[in-house]
Amino acid sequence: MSAPLLLILIAALAFLATHVAYEWLAKRLLIVSGAEYLVLGVLLGPHATKLVSPAAIEAFDPIVILAIGWMGIATGMPLQLQRLVRIPAVAYRLSLVEGLLTLALVATGVASAIAYAFQVPLQEALVPALALGAIAVASTPAGLDVAYGDGTRSAPVLRQIEVAQGMDGLISVLAFGIVLAWAHTAIPLTVRALTTTEWVVVTLGIGVVGGTLFHLFLGGETSPDRLFISLGGAIVLTSGAAAFLQLSPALAAFVMGVVLANSMRHPASVLQVLRTGERPLYYVLLLLAGASWNPDSNIVWWLVLMHYVVLRTLAKLWGSGIATWFNGAQQSVGLDWGRGLVGQGRLTIALAMDYARRDLPFADVIFTCAAASVLFTEFFAARFVRSAAAPLLAPLEQFTVTTSAVVDSVAETMTQRFPEWRSGDAPSSDERTP
Amino acid sequence: MRRLVILLVLYAVMQGIFLLGSAESGVPTLMLFGFLILAAYSVGELATSFGLPKIVGYMLAGLFFGPPGLAYVSKPVIVELAPVSNLAIALIAFLAGAELQIAEIRARGIGILKMMSAELVLCFVGVAAVIALLRGQLPFLASAPGTEVLAFSLLFAAVAVVHSPAATIALLSETKANGPLARYTLGVVLVMDVAVVLIFSAVLAAARALVPPTDGSGGVQMGTVLWEIGGAVLVGAVLGLFVALYLRFISRELFIFAILIALLGAEIAKILHVETLLTLLVAGFVAENASGGHGEKFRHAMERAAAPIFVVFFALSGAKLDPASVLPLWTIVVPVVLVRMLAIWGGTTLGARWAGLDPVVTKYTWYGLVSQAGVAFGLAAVVAEVYPDRGEALRSLLLATIAINQTVGPILFRVALKRSGELKSTG
Repeated sequence: MSAPLLLILIAALAFLATHVAYEWLAKRLLIVSGAEYLVLGVLLGPHATKLVSPAAIEAFDPIVILAIGWMGIATGMPLQLQRLVRIPAVAYRLSLVEGLLTLALVATGVASAIAYAFQVPLQEALVPALALGAIAVASTPAGLDVAYGDGTRSAPVLRQIEVAQGMDGLISVLAFGIVLAWAHTAIPLTVRALTTTEWVVVTLGIGVVGGTLFHLFLGGETSPDRLFISLGGAIVLTSGAAAFLQLSPALAAFVMGVVLANSMRHPASVLQVLRTGERPLYYVLLLLAGASWNPDSNIVWWLVLMHYVVLRTLAKLWGSGIATWFNGAQQSVGLDWGRGLVGQGRLTIALAMDYARRDLPFADVIFTCAAASVLFTEFFAARFVRSAAAPLLAPLEQFTVTTSAVVDSVAETMTQRFPEWRSGDAPSSDERTP
Repeated sequence: MRRLVILLVLYAVMQGIFLLGSAESGVPTLMLFGFLILAAYSVGELATSFGLPKIVGYMLAGLFFGPPGLAYVSKPVIVELAPVSNLAIALIAFLAGAELQIAEIRARGIGILKMMSAELVLCFVGVAAVIALLRGQLPFLASAPGTEVLAFSLLFAAVAVVHSPAATIALLSETKANGPLARYTLGVVLVMDVAVVLIFSAVLAAARALVPPTDGSGGVQMGTVLWEIGGAVLVGAVLGLFVALYLRFISRELFIFAILIALLGAEIAKILHVETLLTLLVAGFVAENASGGHGEKFRHAMERAAAPIFVVFFALSGAKLDPASVLPLWTIVVPVVLVRMLAIWGGTTLGARWAGLDPVVTKYTWYGLVSQAGVAFGLAAVVAEVYPDRGEALRSLLLATIAINQTVGPILFRVALKRSGELKSTG
């Protein structure tokens, strides 16, 4: 059986099976589905059944780039200025501290771990360590969606987790894009070699132009079909241009998403279209990630992995707690909201794949750390969120229950005292008028 | 005006990005794919302001940005984007099949068959006769013996009778036309698509008997042809039943399911050596008619999935055109195109009168049958493969003819839909 057919068949079956099971699992067991595709990819890949060869995986490179771009724009689109200005500044402060702390702690720890374990100069370990630091910051929003739905979250702790996830996405994509620009060594054929800052500006510029083009393209269009064509075209163009220049497709698409979210009259319709392709592309990305995974039993890999997991978890849990304590916000959001950020998912895999497909040092180690983190944390992302928010939401829920009981009791008394009065069909003023 | 600004911005962006490219950058296939979607879509929108169908705009964009024009979309990129074209063909075939309902076949089947057979005979004989008569214009046939002239004239005619399901489906999706003219035209195009596989295989077998290929290889055996057709019906029916069951019992995530089915169908057809188009056509037909009324939702999902793919497919078709090849051969290309049109007109008029169809259908159906695209390209390639030396010259002639039909055909079809009053949307 040919590799593409097999991949299509397995992706189709897995997609459908998971889709049917997804809601059931999510509702009953609070499990976020997705990581199983990673395992499936490993089973199909060259290290297990060898059904998908390295050449076949390479042929899917354009889809990987597209998926990375898609995850980038999906991270940028929720950042609507109009909505963001309504959020209290303290929420940003806490999120920023937590994100930067995670980046610094993981990057420092992993740099020393790589330098020690692989006996390389610290300078050589900087690029992979910073990239892994950027990847570590990302946390999946799927947990929050599964645990509390994707509607408006008015409770302070839920809002804090949501803001922190958005901030984590921003820091993660931006830091990763800067690292790639820093590691950029290719010299343009027709102009002089560009500096890191210039490459960062080029990446941001691609995103801005992509967003502007898309905006020009559609104007006030709301037809899903036209939106899909132009959004697909704009993401492919933006991600493809960034990949062609060996820059970060995620950052370029992220900027494009921010431009779109803040310039379009109907960003909700674009978000809707974006969501149509998001999950399938994530699953394809996970499958390919699993298939292209090159793990090693070498003990030094475990050292780096342990550093990553331990430092990241510490930074997320304690970093958020310390920042909250310093800002005196524990009354409203508690000290444990950082648990809601432990789960990793789509953005982590996208960035790790982006790093792994380049000729950069320790690509397999970086990829292994990210993939292992997704494998072990995404399933329980919703439970992490629930454990962070439930203690603070319980009194609120109790209050809601009590209020409902009081209202019911008053209504019942009224009905008994005044039988002609019923809340649903009380006579209108017109009916009362003789 | 806005579309022109977009095109200019796109052009400037591409120039800037190419300036910054390095030796290690490789072929920017993905970027050009995105560029083609946006540029072709913009030109398509521009075309509508001149009363032209969008697909003509897409093709013009391909021509302008492809190898004959600015060469942004180079030949290696076209090769790398071939899977997109294959996916488009698969989606088109499935959609075409899904358009056919049993009730409609019962109502219109006889009329379609009569029109198709009359047109087929006239077109085949007419084009073959023109090639035979004007053989002096073709260096490889000028001094050839009669058997060779006969063989190559028949081969040429077997490709010339092909229509373009892709252009027909795309135009009908664009205009949302659904009246008798649209339905009869689509019917003739689809039935002819199936008939052509048989006719071409038979003619090729006859040509191989008359003029054996120099290396003795190539060509198609009759058994293979039968399997290609029969197997396609079988595989398509099974695939269609699977889709129907899915639609009846699950019916979710239809968008991604549509793409997966098109990919799966094309891949299975390739592996089992059955006709891809026919497989997906049958699958679409079975899915539509066995899904218990769930087909419309799926068709819409498939149309949505196909929209950007169509844009790129027609842009790539435009990029593959070579206007320079038409000029040296114009003395034979123009008569062939005219005779083909005349034969299509005569055949459909005759067939429609024979079947006693509506005067509007009688008058305008031929307009929709001029287009040629993907299938014709494929058959021309088979001829070149079987007869590498003379076949290549014949292929150039075929491509020049297809280039004209491909450009003029959609315009004519749109005119017919407009005149018949079936054009609902001008967008």
